[in-house]
Amino acid sequence: MYVKKVAVIGAGTMGADIAYTVAMANIPVVLRDVDEKALERAKSHIQKLLDGRVAKGRLSGPDAAQRMSRIVFSADASALKDVSVAIEAVPEKMALKQKVFQELDRLLPPLAILATNTSALSVTEMASVTSRPTRVAGMHFFYPAHMMKLVEIIAGEQTDKDVLDTLSRLSEEIRKIPVAVKECPGFVVNRVLTASMAEVMRFKVEYGYSAEEIDQTIVKHHVAPLGPFVLADALGLDIAWDVAETLQAAYGDRFDPGPELPALVAAHHLGVKTGQGFYPYSRS
Amino acid sequence: MEAEREQELIDRFTLATFMEAARLYEEGVASPQAIDIAMRAGAGLPAGPLAWADQTGLDVVYQKLADLESRFGARFAPPASLSARVEHGQLGIKSGAGYFNY
Repeated sequence: MYVKKVAVIGAGTMGADIAYTVAMANIPVVLRDVDEKALERAKSHIQKLLDGRVAKGRLSGPDAAQRMSRIVFSADASALKDVSVAIEAVPEKMALKQKVFQELDRLLPPLAILATNTSALSVTEMASVTSRPTRVAGMHFFYPAHMMKLVEIIAGEQTDKDVLDTLSRLSEEIRKIPVAVKECPGFVVNRVLTASMAEVMRFKVEYGYSAEEIDQTIVKHHVAPLGPFVLADALGLDIAWDVAETLQAAYGDRFDPGPELPALVAAHHLGVKTGQGFYPYSRS
Repeated sequence: MEAEREQELIDRFTLATFMEAARLYEEGVASPQAIDIAMRAGAGLPAGPLAWADQTGLDVVYQKLADLESRFGARFAPPASLSARVEHGQLGIKSGAGYFNY
């Protein structure tokens, strides 16, 4: 299917980064949020990304203005009526996502594709509230979405193959690397990363090494670009714990990270964003 | 870190990574190619976990897992896709086939 126009629903950082990425490929995009302030923040975030490209000499001033003109920032649902692919990027609450999917189903043309950027929730459950479950799929970007190349294309129980093909092609058009994944908790990347993270967190508790010593050892052996503790701190320990709990419930104790992660979360030490996680961070 | 502990850390990290990738493959969640591309592009790993196993040698991976299983239990039990390949002499790059063909 030819993708004429994309919509991104939810103007948080993830939604703004996705809209920027689509606009950079010169595809018209509507960034929609019910919150006008969120739209303003998204606009200045995207302007900063474009300014950064210009400052580095990667994009001319007129081209940057032209890319920005590809994006319609809208709180108005009527802007969605001729969209071919909508990518939902609202907070990870099933009830909220289902509400968005019902609205998209009502507003978008019958063959339009409804995609979710969820990293954890069921695509099939979102599809179930629409009249077009065959045209619903997952399109999982990684943070930060304007830099990370991977997109997991997730099939729900009823997703049509041509929908997956269209989303894969769209991913390539916006210079991403798509991989096809069947629906399961964690999909591929978060499932594998969380399994190894939990193993290393248990190792830490068993032997009492510091996070730094462990991270440095892993990096020194060239088996990962970052140690698991640096990575978890950057991601946010609340998010890391949330994913670990979800995957432990789904697959069992190999996803149990031991006592340190939940203790840090309980103390509101969430990593880089709070200034303290497995490591301290200077907030200056 | 003492050399022995250092080796244990690297083994537990790389084999926990490999085990989960093998489970995804056996469950049919994604193809071996898709799993490896995802872990390189999405997590920045220098090698995909299944290509890493082929490179290391599936017999070597099997032996490491058997050792870890005896110390830490079933989470390191060699997966069926690995045992079958080792039985058939498909040991990875050195034998011309493993999770991928060479």
